[in-house]
Amino acid sequence: MKQAIQAVMAYRVRSFFCLISVALGISSIAVIVAATEGAYKRAFEIVGRFGPDSLLVIGGSEESRALGRWPKTIKLAYVEAVRQAFPTVYMVVPMTFVGDIPVSFRDKKYQTRVIGSTADYTRAWTWPVIQGSDFTEEDIKGIRNVGLIGQEVSRELFGETDPVGKYILVRRIPVQVVGVLAERGITGGGHKLDNRIVLPITTVMKKFVNETQYITAFRARFVDQHNLKAREEELRLFLRQEMRTADDQPDPFRIVSPTAIIKFLVALTGSLVAFIGIAGIICLIVAGFVLANLFLLSVKERTKEIGIRRAIGARRRDIVTQFLGESVIITSIGGIVGFILALLGSRLLTYIAEFPMYFSWKAFAVGMGLSWIVGIASGLQPASRAAQIEPIEAIRE
Amino acid sequence: MPLCSMENVTKTYRLGSQTVEVLRGVSFGIEQGEFVAIIGPSGAGKTTLMNLLGCLDVPTSGRYMLSGRDMSNLTDDELSLIRNEHIGFVFQNFYLIPYATVFENVLLPTLYRDHNTNEAAKLASRLLEMVGLQERDKFRPGQLSGGEQQRVAIARAIINNPELVLADEPTGQLDSKTATEIMKILARMNQDGKAVAIITHDVNIASYAQRTIRMEDGLIV
Ligand SMILES: Nc1ncnc2c1ncn2[C@@H]1O[C@H](COP(=O)(O)OP(=O)(O)OP(=O)(O)O)[C@@H](O)[C@H]1O
Ligand SMILES: [Mg+2]
Repeated sequence: MKQAIQAVMAYRVRSFFCLISVALGISSIAVIVAATEGAYKRAFEIVGRFGPDSLLVIGGSEESRALGRWPKTIKLAYVEAVRQAFPTVYMVVPMTFVGDIPVSFRDKKYQTRVIGSTADYTRAWTWPVIQGSDFTEEDIKGIRNVGLIGQEVSRELFGETDPVGKYILVRRIPVQVVGVLAERGITGGGHKLDNRIVLPITTVMKKFVNETQYITAFRARFVDQHNLKAREEELRLFLRQEMRTADDQPDPFRIVSPTAIIKFLVALTGSLVAFIGIAGIICLIVAGFVLANLFLLSVKERTKEIGIRRAIGARRRDIVTQFLGESVIITSIGGIVGFILALLGSRLLTYIAEFPMYFSWKAFAVGMGLSWIVGIASGLQPASRAAQIEPIEAIRE
Repeated sequence: MPLCSMENVTKTYRLGSQTVEVLRGVSFGIEQGEFVAIIGPSGAGKTTLMNLLGCLDVPTSGRYMLSGRDMSNLTDDELSLIRNEHIGFVFQNFYLIPYATVFENVLLPTLYRDHNTNEAAKLASRLLEMVGLQERDKFRPGQLSGGEQQRVAIARAIINNPELVLADEPTGQLDSKTATEIMKILARMNQDGKAVAIITHDVNIASYAQRTIRMEDGLIV
């Protein structure tokens, strides 16, 4: 072992090259494992926040939304209808979005998205109010001008002061801030959430969009989470019926389910995995060949050393072990360096692309395992060549 | 019983379609604790004979006995073990491992047998002291003179306490003063009870031996 390390040190330039190529290969592989794990972790986090028992119904067919239109298809009345029709539903929360609304407090101005919903909104998204309190059933019924604001809104408009009880202007309508929502970060699709303002849905419908019937979306949560797939299909058919959609027409709405979110994230990761994966495998194969050739060269140069070891009593298998040991030491160090490179590289990737990465012992284990495989695979041929050297040939003057 | 003995040993090499008969029926033996010199012109087959004595190669025909065992039909692994335990080699070109220290070079043969690391290290230090290099144990071979390198090689040859030390022109690369020092060390090893066989062209060197064997053209004359 010690001898092998010494030999690696003695031939350090060549060891260095092998090490670097192995390191590159391993780092890309480690990045892949981390990205995959990160995507899954992120997916489950998002699903956790989204609610693993939730379905989100958004108005408008896929097609019309792709064209940038946002047709009104969902009526507020469906919310009550769904509540009645589905015995296992325990919460249905309507929502209406209004984009790009100017908001101000004294001389501070801000532009953001306003959401109209019910008092269930924060519960439905498991998004707690951390300062002040939620609005109430009475606020909804009374079409009151009260609201919850996100962390970013709070920072932008109020800085360090307490916003609760203050009046802000939302598109020139005065609204009293009753509560501040907890920090929430970014959705799976990359949308900011902390810049939102939540008002009673009645207030938004009447005073902002001048609408009596239609809403943008609603969320339904079910007690029987394990039957969500079936509930989704039932809900789809139920809504088609309510909307009197003809059989040959596509759904005039879209249902987002936790599985759909996971699928989306996994697909996103998949493309990265494929790209880096191919690069990593190529790196490792090249590294393997470089290593094998350099070792073969090394064996030729060290013929005398091998001869003297054999004369002194080394068996063929001792020579094989020695050379394999040397190549595995190099690739192992390469593996470790590669893992460190991967850690640094993923920082960069996360920084540029907000890509979820998660390094666990799995990424490390896969990296080390692969580096050993490369070490053994590329060391085997040179090592057995070394073992075939006959001592009398090697040490002839 | 002699330490080793050859009976009518031949060695032929095949070079393509030609065969070269290098040893043509050699019979001789070395006693326990004996000091033998082998002399003869270049190409006489001295190194070939030494390779057979040292179990680096096997005879084409004839019989070679070492410590009462027939060496003719052993496997490669068995021959390796015999070399490790019973034979010490000293070569004209020293053949030390360049990247290992003097101390590690001396220890090398112990790596290939079950050994007590502590005891082996102590023995290596003692042997380095015996050849007068205890202060050089951390040096690399490249930092030593030829004579010093050969002394390291001798320490390495005897660390596993072999019965037979084979030296193929051990002084061939050295000046006469250094050669004398090396021969004194070999003579002392012989006095300690080891059999020594040395190949040389130099009659002064041969005079250290109790018996001189002369080879010519593949035969002992
Ligand atoms: N592996 C081999 N294949 C073919 N011929 C060989 C081989 N080894 C040795 N010979 C031949 O055998 C003969 C004797 O060689 P050997 O090395 O034993 O001589 P030597 O007495 O040691 O000579 P020197 O004093 O020059 O070292 C030489 O002619 C050599 O060419
Ligand atoms: Mg010779």
